[in-house]
Formats: sequence, structure tokens, C-alpha cells
Amino acid sequence: MSSWGASPPIPRVADRVSRYGPVLVAAALFALPIFWVVVVSFKKQSEYGSSLFPAGFQWANYELAVVLADFGRFAANSVLLSGTYTVLAVLVSALVGYGFARHHGPGRNKLFVLVLATWMVPNLVLFVPQFVLFARLGLTNTYWPWILWGLSGSPFAIFLFRQFFSSFPRELDDAAEVDGAGPLRIFLQIYLPNAGPALAASAIFMFLWVWGDWLYPGLLLHQDNTTLAVRMANAYVDPRGNPLQTVTMAGVVLYVMPLILFFAFAQRYIVRGIVTTGIKG
Amino acid sequence: MAGATQVLPRTMPRPAAWRRRRVRRAVTFYLLISPWLLGFVLLSAVPLAAAFVMSFTNYDGLNLDYLQLVGTDNYARALADPDAQYAVGRTLLLMAVIVPIGLVLQLALALMVNQPIRFSNVFRTIFYLPYVIPVVAAVWVWKIFVDPTGGVLNALIGTVVPGFNVRWLVQYPTAVLAVLTIWSAAGGGMVVFLAGLQGIPAEFREAAMIDGASRVQVARFITLPLLSPVIFFNLVTGIIVALQVLVQPMLLSPGILGLNPGTVPPRENYFYVVHAYIEIFTKQLFGYGSALLWLLFTVVLGLTLVLFKTSRRWVFYGVEPS
Repeated sequence: MSSWGASPPIPRVADRVSRYGPVLVAAALFALPIFWVVVVSFKKQSEYGSSLFPAGFQWANYELAVVLADFGRFAANSVLLSGTYTVLAVLVSALVGYGFARHHGPGRNKLFVLVLATWMVPNLVLFVPQFVLFARLGLTNTYWPWILWGLSGSPFAIFLFRQFFSSFPRELDDAAEVDGAGPLRIFLQIYLPNAGPALAASAIFMFLWVWGDWLYPGLLLHQDNTTLAVRMANAYVDPRGNPLQTVTMAGVVLYVMPLILFFAFAQRYIVRGIVTTGIKG
Repeated sequence: MAGATQVLPRTMPRPAAWRRRRVRRAVTFYLLISPWLLGFVLLSAVPLAAAFVMSFTNYDGLNLDYLQLVGTDNYARALADPDAQYAVGRTLLLMAVIVPIGLVLQLALALMVNQPIRFSNVFRTIFYLPYVIPVVAAVWVWKIFVDPTGGVLNALIGTVVPGFNVRWLVQYPTAVLAVLTIWSAAGGGMVVFLAGLQGIPAEFREAAMIDGASRVQVARFITLPLLSPVIFFNLVTGIIVALQVLVQPMLLSPGILGLNPGTVPPRENYFYVVHAYIEIFTKQLFGYGSALLWLLFTVVLGLTLVLFKTSRRWVFYGVEPS
């Protein structure tokens, strides 16, 4: 899109090198550590530290990663917790964002500044008293904290929906209001169905947050109902207690893979949404 | 808002009916935002206030029987605590390294993938990937990468320097942490810079080049000033994130076996929020820890305000204020 105008008709070699050289080097440096995890995940444990590349693909590491750690159960916990939080937080944030974008009340702007301000507060500053509160209410070792967080929406998503809904034509509301639809019906039947890109974008980030979070489940949950993130923070070991780096890396790949697939699928959707809403490059 | 109601002076209803209508509108607004408002009061405002009160007590997280007001003791202690002072120093050092390097890298990546090159989508994805990878996985990526036994870093350097063997996580834990955080955050900043770059009309640059400006001049006098709001945004968020670094140093323990909450990171990676975390969750000093966190909160708040106030001097918003 952004052409440099005066580029010569036949691209010179030097031009190509200056254009592709740095970006290729940077990409190699960024990808190499990730690539190495995949390489290690296919090694035999005896090859770890002795040979640079594996002789063959040791798929058994992936089986062991699932079997040795009760992987399925922790993954199910993670899906349940991330899914619950994501659905609640996205829907509530959309509703609140719609309220801020389309409805008026005294103190609206000040309240919106408060939404943004909570975004700025250091996580732990909020979490420590919340932790005390949850402990007092007996909500530790349950998923209730995430349900409560979800039910109160996410500042980031509220901001996103507010911006998104502000660009909707007002005629839609007026027409619906003439037909006698209340604000909630207008939200459910007009705003929500047309919020695809914002829904996708916020859902991805909400899901990523819980799926990737190690701190809160580590502090709030128990060994049995905790998430995959907490489990994956510990290395796999053989019966003698020696670390199995290869199996651990297979586990890490399995832990990250759904996220990358999910993201690869949803990214297209987001980009398309951004294009159709007219924020083009 | 007020303007919208004043557009219709002719059909203005009687004052009583008008007032009723305004009340109804306000009720609708507050009902719609009530989930957030309720959550804000119960999960943010009240706990924040409670933490502030807690910071003036000796609360241990469990027992209310021995609860005492200790005045400003916790704050006095925080200022005199050698561990806290050390942690502040390490935090400022980390910030001084990762914020400028991170910012330059993010801008460089955005400029690189914004060129008309083939596979630019593939490059974008590669740079964005570390930003999406959960912190636990990211820490494993770097632990294994720098592992002296089976890591590829020492092996690569070893091809040039025979017998090269550095135990990175023991000898240079902060360097590894800095690389990890810069690598993780780069993609997010790059996307923000890309959005900013694509918001600059190509005509501006083309006009300047027709007038004979060099590439460097275009970058210096057109791209950079128009990008300054984005640079500012990434700078502020970068500083705030750097001040609060906690999970990465906790997870980046030198041992290969992973860790549990409560493991103390190596001395070099003992940062301010790590200190607060350990005081609270390991030593059960909720009162003292709350004081530490409230000090951080004040600094972050103050820093944000100062940055916003001074931003007018160098941030170009397209429209002149005043």
C-alpha cells in the first residue's frame, strides 16, 4: 500500500538486501527459541544434551506428556475456567460498552475515566485485598473469583466495545425505538449481532488471559482443580525424580498449540472485521 | 449530550414530563452499566480502600485477633527496608534497559513489516507470536534455549568459541529476563506502531520526496512526529509494565524443575513487586506488603500524570491545543 513512489523499475540487489535482510534476521532470532522447543520435544531423553538434532521423531514424548501429568484433566479445568470467564466478561463488557456508547446519565464521562483508571492500577494492588476478601468468603479453591470478575466485565473490553458501538449509525436505534423496542432488545437484536469483530477480538484476549495466567490460579486454586498453566510450570520427571526436558517441551507444545490454532483462525476473522468496518490500512 | 436535548426546542415537553424523561434515561444508563459499576465498587473500590487501611495495620492475612493499627510504621519500614531499596534499584535498572530497547525494536519491526515486502503477513505473525504465548510457556522457551546442557545458545556460540559454557540463568539471570520480556512484548508494541504507521497518509511522504527530501529526512520530519502519540502510548505502557514485573522473574528460576509459588528468584532478579509478593504471600505480612503496593500505586499514578502533562511538549496530535 505505502509505496515509496520513486522506486526504480528493476529492483536492484542492494535494495532487496536492505529490504529483506533485517526482517529475515529478526524473524530468525524471534523464531529460533520457539523452534528449539519443538526440536527438543522430538528428542529422545538420551539425546538431550548429547546431540544437537534428534535422529528421529520421538512421538512417544507427546503420549508421555499427556499420560504422566493427567494432562486431560488440567486442560479441561483450563477450558472450563477460561471459557466461563470469557463468555461472561465478553457479554457483560459488550452491554456496559453499549451503555457508555449510547446512553446518557449524570457522571457518564467521569465513570468512563474510572473504567480506564482501573486498567492502570497495578494488578497486585487490586488482587491482594481481593484475595483476602475471597479467602474470608470461602471462595478460594473455587472458580467463583473468575465468575465474579467475568460478571463485572473487563475494562479493556468495555473500552473496545464502547469505541466500536460509537461508530454505529444512530438511525438504527431510532428506527427500533419507533417500533417500541427497549434498550435491552436494541442491544440484543441490533448491537450484539453486529459486533462480530469486537466480540472476536475481546474473546481472544479474555481467553488468552485466563489460559495463560499462572499467578491467580496458583494462589487461589488447589492442586486438583488448578489450570494447565500451573501444572506446566513444573517440569515432568522420571520415577527417580530426574527432569525429563524432552517430555516437558512436548507438554509445552500441547499447552500452546490450541491457542495458536485458535488465534490463527480468529485472526483472519478480526482482520476481515476491521476491513469491513472501514478501518483500512 | 446536553446538546442533543436542546436541538428540539419547539417540541420541548412540559418541565415535569421532561424531568421524568431525563430520570428514565439516567436510570436506563445506570442499569446498563450496573454490572461494571457493582463490580467496580465491590471488587475494586472497596478492596483498594481496604488495602489502604490494611497498610496501616499489622494484618497477617489470617488472624484478626492480633490486628492492630500501627500507624505509618509500615511506610517507615518500607522506606528503610534494605531489601526494598535493593529491589527498587534492580527494577529501575531493568526498566532503563528494556523500555528503550523494547521501544526501538517495536518501531523497527513495524517499519520492517510495513514495507512492501513479500510474506509480510508471515513476518508479522512470527513477531506477534511471542506476545500470544502464555508466560509459563515463554519462560520454558528461554530456559531451554539458554540451558547449558541441551540449549542451542551455548552450542551456537560454541561453534565460534570452542568450549564455551555459560550457565546463563545463574551467571546472567537479569540479562535472560530482559531478553525474555523484550521478546514477549515486542509483538504487541509492533501492532500498535503498525496501526499508527498506516494512519499516516502516503501522500505526506510522497509530497516530501517530490520536494527532494531524503528517506532519513522523511523519517525524521514526517513519520516520527506523526507517530509521536503512538511512541508516547507505548512508552507509558512500557514503563508501567516494567515497574510491575513479577511473574517472569518468579518463574525464571535457575533450576530446571520448575517451581511453586513461594520460590524466591535469584538475587539479581529480585524486583520491587517480587519483594511485595514475597512479603505478602510467603511471609504473610499483608499489612507491610499493602504499604509496599500502595507506594507503587502512587508512583505509577504520579508517573502517568507527569507523562501526560509533559507529553504536550513533544507529542504531536495533529491539532494544536489552544
